[in-house]
Amino acid sequence: MAVSEKKYYHAIQLIPENCTGCTSCVKVCPTEAIRVRNGKAQIDPNRCVDCGNCVTICKFHAILPKSDSLDIINKFQYKVAILSSSYAGQFTEDIAYPVSKQALIELGFDEVAEEAMVTDFMVGLIRDYIRQHKDIRPILSSNCPAVVRLIQVKFPSLLPNILHQEAPMSILTRFLREKIQAEKGLKDSDIGIFLIVPCVAHVTAVHQPEGAYKHLQDGAFSIGMIYGKIRDRLRKMNNEENKINTYEQGLTLALSGVEAEMVDCEDIRALSVNGTDNVIEILSKVEDHYLDQYDYIVLRSCTNGCVGGCLNVENPFVAMSRIKKLIKTSKHQKVDTSELKELYKDGEFAVVPLEPRSIMLLDQDIKQAIQKMKKLNEILVMLPGLNCSACGSPTCYALAEDIVSDKASIDDCVVLLRRHQKEEE
Amino acid sequence: MAEYWNVNPDYEISAKSFLADKPEADVSLEFEIAVKDFVNAGKGSAEVKNTLKRLGVDPAILRRIAVASYEAEINVTAHSEGGKMYSYIYDDSVYIRFEDKGPGISNIEQAMVPGWSTADDLVREMGFGAGLGLPNIQKNSDLLHITSEYGSTTTLEIIIYYS
Repeated sequence: MAVSEKKYYHAIQLIPENCTGCTSCVKVCPTEAIRVRNGKAQIDPNRCVDCGNCVTICKFHAILPKSDSLDIINKFQYKVAILSSSYAGQFTEDIAYPVSKQALIELGFDEVAEEAMVTDFMVGLIRDYIRQHKDIRPILSSNCPAVVRLIQVKFPSLLPNILHQEAPMSILTRFLREKIQAEKGLKDSDIGIFLIVPCVAHVTAVHQPEGAYKHLQDGAFSIGMIYGKIRDRLRKMNNEENKINTYEQGLTLALSGVEAEMVDCEDIRALSVNGTDNVIEILSKVEDHYLDQYDYIVLRSCTNGCVGGCLNVENPFVAMSRIKKLIKTSKHQKVDTSELKELYKDGEFAVVPLEPRSIMLLDQDIKQAIQKMKKLNEILVMLPGLNCSACGSPTCYALAEDIVSDKASIDDCVVLLRRHQKEEE
Repeated sequence: MAEYWNVNPDYEISAKSFLADKPEADVSLEFEIAVKDFVNAGKGSAEVKNTLKRLGVDPAILRRIAVASYEAEINVTAHSEGGKMYSYIYDDSVYIRFEDKGPGISNIEQAMVPGWSTADDLVREMGFGAGLGLPNIQKNSDLLHITSEYGSTTTLEIIIYYS
């Protein structure tokens, strides 16, 4: 297994001046990518999967999301925003969904599209893919970029199980690019397409799409970053009725449970899983062939799905309840997706086979790796086993691993140091 | 005492000579399996899996090891009075031995038949006991060796090669 030398982009930035070295982030990282060294947090870019757990937990504004600046839209003649479905759950119910969508036009976009427009098409695509790949079970959803990266890092044996097709917002981007070029007579380079996203993983995915053949979008703005600006516009707009089309019925993609229910049918059994710890537990069971009875598993790194994204402003349960209400009380809006169906048939949405990021390896050579593992176990029995993270590594095991990889020393263990001091006294 | 052997012919010589010598392993793991403790069942095999991931064992082989050791661990949990799982990791293979405290298998040949199970209601309620455990272990291992005496203990050994 070759470890790629590729530099990984991450939509997370560290602000060392603000970091207190508290190790909260170290403890919540699912891939053990963070260490506190010399009193400051450091992130290993090879291990980070952009789940955003550290962004959420940091109380000191030392780990911040990166988002493009809204000004970049002005580089384009025709500016399009694509709304991630969780956007609809961010506003109190006195603000009508079409109004919150119109606010983006007021903000400077020429057109606002919704991820929700392609939901029905996606359900069809996913079902077809599952039926076409009967030899692979279960098929794992690829919509959440943090989950895809988590599989690359921790579960490389499950890479073939991932649904190897573009995510809905990328499919929609393809569709819009062609439609706008034809309708408005514009060049591809005149059109700027931007995603309004709920999490850092999606910002990263826009800048460094995994497996995509084409670079599709021109930028990504987090819901949290534009929320204040949207609220300003909303105040000026006075909640006035407008004629903008909305696609509430398709908002299901923001809710991992509802997405699974939609894919589930007579010959397809679907399971929904969300939250990083749950996702990891389920992937481990898939690895053991314990969940082969499922045809499809919807996996989302955040609580309840994309509504739980760390760059949303509303609580994931409140946002979910609002979106469910919107789905229930709305009428179906038909979207003509015949063109998309043609593109899918031609294999246009297929992505390159995903490659592992095997960063958990102790050594490329198995003989060396075993020697390091032996040493690791010897160190491990000397460590106190408190997993206190005071050394800056997440667990005693991780510290032992860091020591055999020459990234730390046993003297970093403050508990051992204290014991030695007491003995000397 | 009853005995059951199944060896992948490609590895017959190396597997048998391994069992005769039992060379010391640089990396070994030990895990206690408690009676009917389904909450923790599978943790021993998960530990083996996580260790092997750090050594760079091929993902497909890793899954075979995961399945075989998980099934064997569940078997000890579900059918025995508890026992221990010993894993020995080498640079070309893994050798895992499960030793339980009884009550032994009355008819091993029959236990190997897919779908045959002596699982009690508790075990079945937990979603286990489909009678596929041992056949699954056999399918995913290069060597399977069971020794058992009815009314006494059972030892199950597996070897899986990385290539």
